[in-house]
Amino acid sequence: MSRRRWLAALDALLSHGVLIAIGLLFFLPFYWLVATALKPDAQVFAMPPVWVPHPPQWRNFPRALTYVPFGLYTINTLRICALNVLGTVLACSLVAYSLAKVRWKGREWVFWSMLATMILPGQVTMVPTFTIFRSLHWIGTILPLVVPPFFGNAFSIFLLRQFFMTIPDELSDAARIDGCSDLGIYTRLILPLSKPALATVGLFAFIGSWNDFLGPLLYLNDERSYTLSIGLQRFVSQHGAEWSMLSAASAVMTVPIIIIFFLAQRTFIQGITLTGIKG
Amino acid sequence: MKERSSHLLTSSPPHLHPYRRRASRNAQLTGLAFAAPWIVGFIVFFAYPVIASAYYSLCSFDAIRPPRFIGFENYRRMFTEDDLFWKSLWNTLYMVVAGLPVGLAASLGIALLLNRKVKGMTVYRTIYYLPSITPVVATSILWLWLLNPEMGLINIALGKMHLMQPGWLTDPAWAKAALILMGLWGAGGGMVIYLAALQDVPESLTEAAALDGAGKLQQFRHVTLPMLSPVILFNLIMGLIGSFQYFTQAYVMTSGGPQDSTMFYALHLFNRAFLDFRMGYASAMAWVLFLVTLVCALLVFKTSARWVYYAGEGR
Amino acid sequence: MRRPAPAAASALRRRLPGLAWLPIAAVALLAPVGCGRLATGPAPKQVIYWTGWSAEEFNTQQRLVDEFNREHPGIQVQMLSQFGNSGYQKVRIAFAGGATPDVMSTIWADELAGYAMRGVLEPLDGYLKRSGRNLERDFTPGVARMLRVRGKVYGLCATTNTSFIAYNKSIFREAGLDPYHPPTTIAELDAAARACTVSDRRGSFVRYGFRPGGLALWAYVFGGQWVDPATGHITADHPGNLAALRWLASYAKRYDLKKMQVFQSTFGSDQTANGPFFVGKVAMWSTGEWAEQFVRRYAPDLEWGWFPLPAPPGGRTACSSAGGSVFVIPAACKDKEAAWTFLDWFTRPKPVARFCSGIGNVPPVVEAGADPVFQQSALFRFAVNLSRSSNTFGPPGTPIWPTYAREIGRVEEKVMLGGGDPVALLADLQRRMTREQLDAMQDLSG
Repeated sequence: MSRRRWLAALDALLSHGVLIAIGLLFFLPFYWLVATALKPDAQVFAMPPVWVPHPPQWRNFPRALTYVPFGLYTINTLRICALNVLGTVLACSLVAYSLAKVRWKGREWVFWSMLATMILPGQVTMVPTFTIFRSLHWIGTILPLVVPPFFGNAFSIFLLRQFFMTIPDELSDAARIDGCSDLGIYTRLILPLSKPALATVGLFAFIGSWNDFLGPLLYLNDERSYTLSIGLQRFVSQHGAEWSMLSAASAVMTVPIIIIFFLAQRTFIQGITLTGIKG
Repeated sequence: MKERSSHLLTSSPPHLHPYRRRASRNAQLTGLAFAAPWIVGFIVFFAYPVIASAYYSLCSFDAIRPPRFIGFENYRRMFTEDDLFWKSLWNTLYMVVAGLPVGLAASLGIALLLNRKVKGMTVYRTIYYLPSITPVVATSILWLWLLNPEMGLINIALGKMHLMQPGWLTDPAWAKAALILMGLWGAGGGMVIYLAALQDVPESLTEAAALDGAGKLQQFRHVTLPMLSPVILFNLIMGLIGSFQYFTQAYVMTSGGPQDSTMFYALHLFNRAFLDFRMGYASAMAWVLFLVTLVCALLVFKTSARWVYYAGEGR
Repeated sequence: MRRPAPAAASALRRRLPGLAWLPIAAVALLAPVGCGRLATGPAPKQVIYWTGWSAEEFNTQQRLVDEFNREHPGIQVQMLSQFGNSGYQKVRIAFAGGATPDVMSTIWADELAGYAMRGVLEPLDGYLKRSGRNLERDFTPGVARMLRVRGKVYGLCATTNTSFIAYNKSIFREAGLDPYHPPTTIAELDAAARACTVSDRRGSFVRYGFRPGGLALWAYVFGGQWVDPATGHITADHPGNLAALRWLASYAKRYDLKKMQVFQSTFGSDQTANGPFFVGKVAMWSTGEWAEQFVRRYAPDLEWGWFPLPAPPGGRTACSSAGGSVFVIPAACKDKEAAWTFLDWFTRPKPVARFCSGIGNVPPVVEAGADPVFQQSALFRFAVNLSRSSNTFGPPGTPIWPTYAREIGRVEEKVMLGGGDPVALLADLQRRMTREQLDAMQDLSG
């Protein structure tokens, strides 16, 4: 028995060793970003690189955050993100339910139409899409950025469909015997069973709109409605860039994503007991 | 509910069938209703752009003046006169064939590593995910140094091991490999999806397999992998589409060089559409890419029936 | 189908307490969307201006715009920026979708002819005349030539660039060259480049003298041209272009360019603290007047000088390039008079002098060049003089110039790195670009 415990300890030690070794590699880009933010100009591009900024330029952070109206841009961005997450989770789970759990004629067509929108490169649909929004008088508003999510997007629908497909049909059949409607099955059975998947989809929707540059660039025409990703461009001039400030602002910009990721992945642990297979 | 479901999983009582039949009468309406957001969205936001771009592909069109119909001239030129079309298609196929499997395996491997029960796993997961959210532009300096032929970390390490030291981004033969290597740091995106899916692999199944005398490797092959297969299919299809449209890194870091070795299809298309005023030609390119990708996706789906396992597939 | 949505939302909230962001999202949904402009009463006319500058350059310009707004109570210019490198994509789509502002400087000189010939820019000849201005008199020759497309003026400049070679005097001295007499001919340039190049025992570079690049400009030095100014025909296979390309190729033959590239990859890009010129890894650097602010910032102790591009016998001396951002009024602009008032004001000598000195560029307006701010610096005295050279070349007036310029770059790369045949490559370029221009012209006449 003690031999077994000893083996378990060795296993844990090995696991941590491997995780830390590879983890260092994965931590490198972020470390680099923060280090660059703290570097004096001369150290940003030094070859061989400077690992520890000396002396660290802490004032780069307050400078970067006051160079553009960071607070306003954060609120603007958060609003767009929130609407994107809400719209994506709602619409995509509904459509995915239809594709995974309801047998009806035409669902193959819906599925492939969905994939098709992803397969056709966006560069050539950009101009006609812009024309649609212009005829709706939506240019200069955030509507082109927040309304489409409420109609779903192919990536998230497809992902949720794959997850819903793994839920045994017998579960929904049983619910039907209990007199449950499809809406009931969707809200009371499928959604609760798919927390990790929904969290994943929400996470991707958040990150997607948080980092989206082209959308706000094309559709927003007022500095007061700008988002952070556009605000970052302020640090890039025609002849170069304010690298330290750019990095400082970029580093601060990743903080909310880290928080959201942290929240989302908490559901990854709860999932196991909810699959309904193991009581 | 849980108890009932575990009972239902093992056997499907015959009295269920009437319900199934009755349900199928309403299924058409229900399915349509649930899919309505997509269908409406597709008609409003996608139908016109898709049709328009198909029409533009038959036109000489600069996106400003009205399109001028020229039939299949864009397609003819693309296939017979545009050396960059073939070059960029080749480069892109390289990314699909060489880069995609590497990326898929990496994200699956990391997900398995991060699904172990080890203290502080949430921190590990966050760290492994970080590179996927660190902006490419901000870290491009880091990459240029890591991949530097003379003083980059990677070549120094290779030198210590007495291995070949490629020129990476300065060498046309290695530039694509360098981009694939860089892509490995972004494995976090696929990892999240695998991690979410791994929560659906019930421990009872692996435990049962273990009791039957299956080793770790066999458990993985016969339990974990089949349970993950639906999201492997997802990541494969998304990776396929993404690789065919590979753009950002090449746009930011190499702009197609050296010597067109990282001139990818989407980059060529972008140049034609937005620098050259040749939106019609770019549309034709887009539709060729569409067909190529679609055929690949269809092939994947065709074979998927053999290797993807859906617990809840209605048959 | 919107009906189940609220129900689903509440169900989600009830059932997924872990997903704390949902209530926040629901509140955000209720917040007003859209962002209409601030309501203004019978107030001044609004001129929406998209600028191509950002960072400190934006702030410099904002101060001038504020001054204009103070001087013109009837007009309010609202400046919008932060487009970065992708800005031209927004501009392209805005033109395509008919959603352009009143004035913009988010167009590169390269693109001017393309937009002008497509009829989306307002010709400015009438406005210039009424305001008592004259393009050829007010602007430097290269800039004036560049702003005229098919005989009409489609834009004005507030900044321009020059091209010359900066050199490190200490390295010159060390290499036995006279630091006060930089090269004036191609032969002297080649000799100086050779003298300054140092390799280690394994043949790797320690420092190199000069790596010429930029066929588009060097072609003019060798007497070449890319478009016939009289007929508008493509002249990619002009003998001068070939001579320039052959000269560039001579460097590829003399030095192992692959090794040079590996060497180059060991230092940061040009305009950073670790730029090769700043740290003494290269003796001569093709650059422009904006180099001064970078030297001041990154290498204040550097002992450096500058000289115009040397020319071969029979070539063009004091060759320089013109370019940069161009101010235009889109044809769809509603209040062109107000837009012109701003454009006219901003391209007058005083604002131009202040803007250029603020961001470290050369003024394209002749009178602005006489401003004392430019006379204080030896480099700027030189650069302002150079910018007035009649051998200054901006983008030639072809609608396909962005494409053409990129393809010239590819030909250069194929020769320099791939050992391609200059004659065949230029002939191929001639054929393809003639075709491309023909296509564009057909679109324009259709």
